[in-house]
Amino acid sequence: MSSKEEILSRIRQTVGTGYAMPEIILPAGAVEYGDKTAQFAAVSESVGGRAVVAGKGADLNEMIRSLYPAAKTIASNIPEITLATFNPDKTGTPYELDGTELAVVRGEIGVAENGAVWIAQNVKEKALYFIAEYLVILLDAEKIVHNMHEAYRQIRLNDYGFGLFISGPSKTADIEQALVTGAHGAKGVTVILTSAV
Amino acid sequence: MSEEHAKNAARFLANKEQEQWHNETLWQVRGKRDRLAMAIPEWETLREWASGIKMHTLSHLDRYLEQFAANAEANGVKVHWAKDGEEHNEIVYGILKERGVKKLVKSKSMLTEECHLNPFLISKGIDVVESDLGERILQLMDEPPSHIVMPAIHLKREEIGALFEEKLHTEKGNSDPAYLTHAARLHLRQEFLTADASMTGANFGVAATGDVVVCTNEGNADMGTSFAPLHIVSMGMEKLVPDYQSLGVFIRLLARSATGQPVTAYTSHYRKPRKGCEMHLVIVDNGRSRTMEMGDHRRTLKCIRCGACMNTCPVYRRSGGYAYTYFIPGPIGINLGMLRSAKTYAGNLSACSLCCSCNNVCPVKIDLADRIYAWRQSLDRLGKADRIKKGMSKGLKFLFSHPALYRLSLRLAPLLRYMPRFLMYNRLNGWGKGREMPEFANESFTEMWKKGKVKTHTNQRSHE
Repeated sequence: MSSKEEILSRIRQTVGTGYAMPEIILPAGAVEYGDKTAQFAAVSESVGGRAVVAGKGADLNEMIRSLYPAAKTIASNIPEITLATFNPDKTGTPYELDGTELAVVRGEIGVAENGAVWIAQNVKEKALYFIAEYLVILLDAEKIVHNMHEAYRQIRLNDYGFGLFISGPSKTADIEQALVTGAHGAKGVTVILTSAV
Repeated sequence: MSEEHAKNAARFLANKEQEQWHNETLWQVRGKRDRLAMAIPEWETLREWASGIKMHTLSHLDRYLEQFAANAEANGVKVHWAKDGEEHNEIVYGILKERGVKKLVKSKSMLTEECHLNPFLISKGIDVVESDLGERILQLMDEPPSHIVMPAIHLKREEIGALFEEKLHTEKGNSDPAYLTHAARLHLRQEFLTADASMTGANFGVAATGDVVVCTNEGNADMGTSFAPLHIVSMGMEKLVPDYQSLGVFIRLLARSATGQPVTAYTSHYRKPRKGCEMHLVIVDNGRSRTMEMGDHRRTLKCIRCGACMNTCPVYRRSGGYAYTYFIPGPIGINLGMLRSAKTYAGNLSACSLCCSCNNVCPVKIDLADRIYAWRQSLDRLGKADRIKKGMSKGLKFLFSHPALYRLSLRLAPLLRYMPRFLMYNRLNGWGKGREMPEFANESFTEMWKKGKVKTHTNQRSHE
């Protein structure tokens, strides 16, 4: 008998009473935010990140430049981001992304309760999300949901087979519980909330 | 009950300042957890759901495991099954050997600790690099973690500064946490970029999609898996959840319970191998199916390894992770140790005051203290009961079943006050160790009652 069969048959002998799956419907009074954008921005700040609103007709390139005036190597595969110095999808291996100072990517869904942004992989190498020193995520403000239950009803992975929630910069408190940003991934994350209107 | 934990704790307690810092720091983490939990009115509902989802999944685990494995395979992931730690290690080594892997970069995994994977791979000549900062610090020190979420919580910055000075050639005498963290960032980045393979644990496996979900703050799991062409996931079979809706419940609970954060910086879903790369998944039993046979102790399998029970435990906070003989400390570690080997780890059972605080913070509602109490009832059967306490229990039983003798002894009890200290405070009286014995009253309650000295408040009560 294979280990798989052995394990499964042992489990079958022990499962016993079948417990019913709870029905996941939020009770009345569950947390909801009057202004999801404001809540999202407040939590982003509390986790060491930042969310800024791009006004109607704002020039995103100008905004990014003023947020990161010193960045020299800027990666983006978004055509409108003309201040990008290279298209990360044109590089051969993830190793070539080492040295990226700023990456500009698109997010799909924002979560008001925890400042997380869902990204189903949308660059050739997912390494970009982590190796860039700083990360800018463009997010449609209309795509902010209240909580993770709503977010998980919407998320889909694409053919890359990888996706993630990012909430603020990479961080650690492993030395004496002192919070330090920039453990391995981005040292800073800015979410730019855009509006289609 | 063995005094093993108490003896080990004495070493930790020798440094009063450090003990106080440890206690207060973890209590602050508990405080952060409380503030976040209380900001969510449906928090208790989430805990109920989390417990219910886990019990449901465990009671249909065969079905969910098959579904999960089938989905993972359809996604191009190679699935392996390991009955025990040894088989797990052989599988992992087999994969690495076949591909000529020299350097393996790992993110934190309690399961690989449980299986003693690192020493095994190192003995085979593989360079194993832990990449979580706390884990890396301990690896450089050749020490095990003392907490499952904050592995280096027992260390002071100066000790880490001195370690990095020696191993990473940082500035002499600089123990600033930001400076040391960024030195580790540079050091580990080179390891990520030169590793031949990466390994992660799994916080959750999603049966409906085959996703492996890993939560980190540092992004170390992501750095590891983004470069090396081979990713191996080591996953305990109890980590499954049915679908995304159930996953959402756990993601809301995990970081809030663990560190008092609304969510970890990264919540990564690994479904397929990177293009042109390989992803392997090792599903591990290693005693879990045996635990499922153990009645109420089965509930321990709901654990999502958040560490909240440690942060709140007054005994853990004041004795440190190394006081426990099992590699996972605190209330959950006491239980997991007993399930691993009751005879070997019974010494940890004394590390509990039955205050039940752990029961109340556990996001999946494991009745940890009740489980410990239940284990204590089996100590005699295991041949681990304390002889002195056993003798006392027998004596008390005799006393309680002989009322005349009981009353006489109560009348004589106040005389203990006049007993020389060496007769009262010695090896035989565990209760006299480190504390004063209570003073016996001159008169017992029964005597006072009989003499009408006890005032009743029946009139008052009728107005309440």
